[in-house]
Amino acid sequence: MAATATSLPAAPARRPRTALVGAMLASGAAFMTYIGLLAVYLIERSNVSLAGADWFPEGVVELGPSGWIFWTMIMSIFTVQWAEWSIKTGDRTNGLWALGLTGLFAAAVFNQLWFIINDTGFTLAGSTPEFMFFILNGAFIVFLIGAAVFLALTMLRALFGQYGTRQADGVGAAAMFWNTVCTMYFITWYVVYVTK
Amino acid sequence: MTMTESPPATEPQSVIPPSNPAMGLYDGLSTSDHKRIGRTWIRASLLMLLGTAVIGVLIGFEQVDASSVDIFGGDNGYFQMWGLYRFALVLMVAAPLMLGLAMVVVPMQVGASNIAFPRAALAAGWGYILGAGITVVSVLAGGGWGALDGVSRDEADAIALTLLGTGMIIVSLLLGAICVATTVISLRTSGMNLMRVPLFAWSMLVACTVWLLTLPVAVANLAIMYIDLRGGPLTFGNPEGSDAMYAQLAWVLDQPQVYAIAIPALGIIGSIVPVVAGIRQAAHWVMVTFIGVFGLLSVGGWSQPYFANTSDEILYIAFGIAVVLPVFAVIGGAAATLAAGDAPVGLPAAHLLGALGAGVVLLAAVVSGAIKVIEPFDLIGTSAHSGLMNLTALAAITAALAGIWFWAPKIDGDFLPSGHGRLVMLGFTAGALLVGAPQVVAGFFDAPDLMLFDTEDSVVNAMSLVSAVGAVLVALAAAGVISAIVSSKRSSGDAPGDNPWNGHTLEWATTSPPSVGNFAEPLAKVVSEVPLLDLADEEVDA
Repeated sequence: MAATATSLPAAPARRPRTALVGAMLASGAAFMTYIGLLAVYLIERSNVSLAGADWFPEGVVELGPSGWIFWTMIMSIFTVQWAEWSIKTGDRTNGLWALGLTGLFAAAVFNQLWFIINDTGFTLAGSTPEFMFFILNGAFIVFLIGAAVFLALTMLRALFGQYGTRQADGVGAAAMFWNTVCTMYFITWYVVYVTK
Repeated sequence: MTMTESPPATEPQSVIPPSNPAMGLYDGLSTSDHKRIGRTWIRASLLMLLGTAVIGVLIGFEQVDASSVDIFGGDNGYFQMWGLYRFALVLMVAAPLMLGLAMVVVPMQVGASNIAFPRAALAAGWGYILGAGITVVSVLAGGGWGALDGVSRDEADAIALTLLGTGMIIVSLLLGAICVATTVISLRTSGMNLMRVPLFAWSMLVACTVWLLTLPVAVANLAIMYIDLRGGPLTFGNPEGSDAMYAQLAWVLDQPQVYAIAIPALGIIGSIVPVVAGIRQAAHWVMVTFIGVFGLLSVGGWSQPYFANTSDEILYIAFGIAVVLPVFAVIGGAAATLAAGDAPVGLPAAHLLGALGAGVVLLAAVVSGAIKVIEPFDLIGTSAHSGLMNLTALAAITAALAGIWFWAPKIDGDFLPSGHGRLVMLGFTAGALLVGAPQVVAGFFDAPDLMLFDTEDSVVNAMSLVSAVGAVLVALAAAGVISAIVSSKRSSGDAPGDNPWNGHTLEWATTSPPSVGNFAEPLAKVVSEVPLLDLADEEVDA
């Protein structure tokens, strides 16, 4: 054998995964902000229930449209992971398609949520339940827009070749934040629309 | 015992310029060097410290004779400044001071060339300065965290601005925390696992993690109040006739959450004492574990008395009592190291005095907290709240100042005057105890947390007087800090050298001031928590 293990060149230094770690911490902070809002929502709803009143009037907040958002978010989890996997494996075409599809799902969710808010006829200054409905859905929209912007920037960077088989942390970071936002919606869906 | 495989590089290449401590506004707005960014944080928070200490003195004087002394123009003005003092001490001084120090020191301690996301760290620094400016100006314009009586339209706008400013400060702190935590997690040099991270860097990782898990809840509280005030049904954001807006945020300033500000104090004590003693910290892993336990017991987002009474819950009581253990363990470990090491010759260094003083004040804080949660003492809602907050925040500030004196050669490339330093550390330690301890004692005599009226109780009056004297001492010490920094800039003393204290960790392997990029050559693999002490041992063995 011509070469021994000791004569082989040293392995390249491990690249620090700052983008992934930073995204993990930022996602955690965003999630805790959402949990803080949710806690106030649940406490207020509990107070209203204990007083024997209804939180929302019967039939105003419907499960159907919010269910469509739920399934859209489920699909987007698959597409964002598809994007990450494709870019990691060097398949940029599929990666860009998947990122674009995820962005389309984000726009669809935004549209569906806008419909729900208009459909309820709630106003911000109406009552505490209406106000809290706006707070929780509004916070979700803010995080959704943040995640969509993050995905769009990632897509641009992938388009210009900054992400590939050697470096795909940015896509992973965007996917992590997107999945966090999806989790926020699943909780919103259960708390606001299912259990009402 | 071989602890390093080869010596870490200490000689900088001549082509790498030192990080110039003097910087103009353009540099301050555009730099990506972590030392400069950290200095921006430190200087801004030291200025805030001076202003906060002055407000503390004024509040102290008003509390001595609440009915006849009227410095702030009535009860409402007093309430606003009382709130400003509390939020400023914790969120505008203690936390950013720790973050600033960490931004300078932590990357060097873990062997990194820069902080993670330097532009985010810089943006966070300016966000904090802007947020603090907005908060202070809005409070002076009649804002604040709610009002005790009716408010005009302008005052309601100012209150909204206060909420916005507070939110900006917290978001900036969170962004800074992400940068510091990411540096410790992902930019450690080869061989430095988490058990080998220096104690200050470890304590910052724990603190940043706790902040990231809890302070977003305060952002949520602020967002709800702000939106409600601007267009909601005024369920949460009604500024009139009560202090309910303040009450929704009060958990940030009370136990267990307020302890989160003091987590890095344990790391600073654990970093300074072994260097002064000249030996390794015995049972380093125990220190690491108990700093982590202290962090765990500081998580307080769940304890919001405005929404649910948690003060009689077993978890709240258990947290309040259990938190004494890790603080005693870490400070006890540091004291044992100091006793086992070389006795300091002559007067103790300012940083040692500061570290010991911070330890004593923090112990007083956690013991007060443990007493406060015990139900028969009935201290909930009394001035013991103020005492606990003052003790904890001032312990954190004293520790941060000890760190600034200790790491001054790496922060500014020069020593800070030791005579000034000793007075500052003694002033802060004595001032903190005199401010906080009497407030805890007054709590036993049912002194209210927000004292708007005179009391007939002579003990409470005496305690208020002692507390005011303590506030004066703190303000004088804060002025001493600014004076020391200014005088160090004017003096042309001897250069401190790269490792003037015979430090044990990697920041002392850089030049003073450190060059851009910190380390001129790749570092050798680290195999213990004290690589420079390993190197010294190797040289002795050779």
